[in-house]
Amino acid sequence: MTTTRTAPPSQGAAAQPAPPATAAPATVALDGVTKTFRTPDGEVRAVRGIDLRVAPGEVVAFLGPNGAGKTTTLDMVLGLTEPTTGAVRVLGRHPRHAVREGRTAAVLQTGGLLRDLTVGETVRLVASTYPSPVAVDDVLERTGLTPLAGRLVAKCSGGEQQRLRFALALLPDPELLVLDEPTAGMDVTARREFWRTMHAEAARGRTVVFATHYLEEADAFADRIVVAAAGRVVADGSTADIRSRASGRTVRADLPVPGREAALRALRAHPGAADVRVQGDRVSVRATDADAVARTLLVDLGGHDLEIATGSLDEAFVALTSGTVGAEEVR
Amino acid sequence: MNTTYLGLELRRFARDRANLFFVAVLPTFLFVVFGSTQDHASTSVGNGNVALYMLVSMAAYGAVTATVGVGGSAAVERMQGWGRQLALTPLRDGSFVAVKAALAVLVALLPVTLIALVGWIGGAEGPVVAWGLSMLAVAAGSTVFALFGLCAALAFRTEAAVSAASGMVVILAFLGNLFVPLSGVLLDIARFTPLYGYVSLARYPVTEGRLISNDGRDLGTEALWVPLLNLGVWALVLGVVATLLVRRGRGRQ
Repeated sequence: MTTTRTAPPSQGAAAQPAPPATAAPATVALDGVTKTFRTPDGEVRAVRGIDLRVAPGEVVAFLGPNGAGKTTTLDMVLGLTEPTTGAVRVLGRHPRHAVREGRTAAVLQTGGLLRDLTVGETVRLVASTYPSPVAVDDVLERTGLTPLAGRLVAKCSGGEQQRLRFALALLPDPELLVLDEPTAGMDVTARREFWRTMHAEAARGRTVVFATHYLEEADAFADRIVVAAAGRVVADGSTADIRSRASGRTVRADLPVPGREAALRALRAHPGAADVRVQGDRVSVRATDADAVARTLLVDLGGHDLEIATGSLDEAFVALTSGTVGAEEVR
Repeated sequence: MNTTYLGLELRRFARDRANLFFVAVLPTFLFVVFGSTQDHASTSVGNGNVALYMLVSMAAYGAVTATVGVGGSAAVERMQGWGRQLALTPLRDGSFVAVKAALAVLVALLPVTLIALVGWIGGAEGPVVAWGLSMLAVAAGSTVFALFGLCAALAFRTEAAVSAASGMVVILAFLGNLFVPLSGVLLDIARFTPLYGYVSLARYPVTEGRLISNDGRDLGTEALWVPLLNLGVWALVLGVVATLLVRRGRGRQ
């Protein structure tokens, strides 16, 4: 984490002491945040306890599979929903106030546009809700929409509509930009172009938090990756940190049937093994210390036909989010 | 009032040709067919003549079609993500409602103006005060029925439901003594339907409460409290239903 906690987590905003005048407040601060939805089928615990600090100027990727609670968490950061318990502060204020003051802006995942307005009209409409927005032409120019200004939203491609949402988010000249899977449904070219524009905006010193389930996007664009799974943060670190976890290796070997149960027990207890699976005669061990696991397999457990494979970034991600690695192990 | 938003809303409305037809052209056409060209069009009713009576009726029909559409699509577009987009701006819910209410009134004035113009040329007669008050009542009263469109949208959550609600206005107009002057049992039933109070009140400056039959005969006078009570009760019903539906929508989120 880049910033240290200045106050203990508290339940209510009123109980929170004013931050010291010298230290800038965290741009985003989540303390013990949970969110439970009531549905006809019972309660759904979308967010199960998230503590997070984002410092000014950071570019943070919020990575996780579908259902990890990413959108719900971002909705709370935007003040679109209130947490069930815990507190969310943006720039030291209630998230709604940060939005009203134009300090937070966001690109939402879907919907959100009127199909029978033109691109230019949409930007003008949203600009009219702010007391002193950035010039409409300027925003259109920066997002490459000037040639499309007269086109109906209904006739724009998915990527063009996404650029329009991005243009709307730039209108208040926000300090914090929240992007919820901004490139979902874009083709490769559109995606690359989108991130090029984003890079330029982040270079202006904005704090950026974006949700994604594309690992490469997080890797290429963020300074820091927060990995969420099942409503919790399971990993939080620089892209290099997360990458180093990807160098975890998988050791596979055939195990003789007699004494296999005992061998598996021994493997599961092995300090260098993170996950042990059996596929037919073969055992597959995801290892944090592949050499040690390989030695044990060959020397102590009578394994043969051993192979060691380097894990990909994707495998690290799957390992992190499938619940086999706890948050404690990552920090 | 955010006039930029209102201006863009008017432009959106004008872009939809089908909307323009149903809101402005059709009611005007109906007035020409049912009102001004009939044999008894010049028969006098209260302060004016039958042509003016039909003019007010058709203007009311056009105005309600307009407001049902505006109210319904406002709800549908909010549910389809535009609400989330607006929630990311400083625009308050109250300002959004104000823009849509102003839009509803302006759109309702479209058939009112068009029909009044055609009627003025085509033989509708009555005192200027009666014309003015009736047209005002048509425009103002029609806003209540934006709630009807809103209820349809909130209940079924689709654009099609809003179109269906606009279509239902035709049936409610027949039942509400709007298109064809009713008598007997049908008139008794009409008094309980949603459009009856509204259109009777809009006509009141012209008729002063006089009821006419299909062939222009005088059916006597109705007290003012009947249409007032009708409109009041229906406004309350629509308001309560809309509130309940909004609450149900919140619970789902």
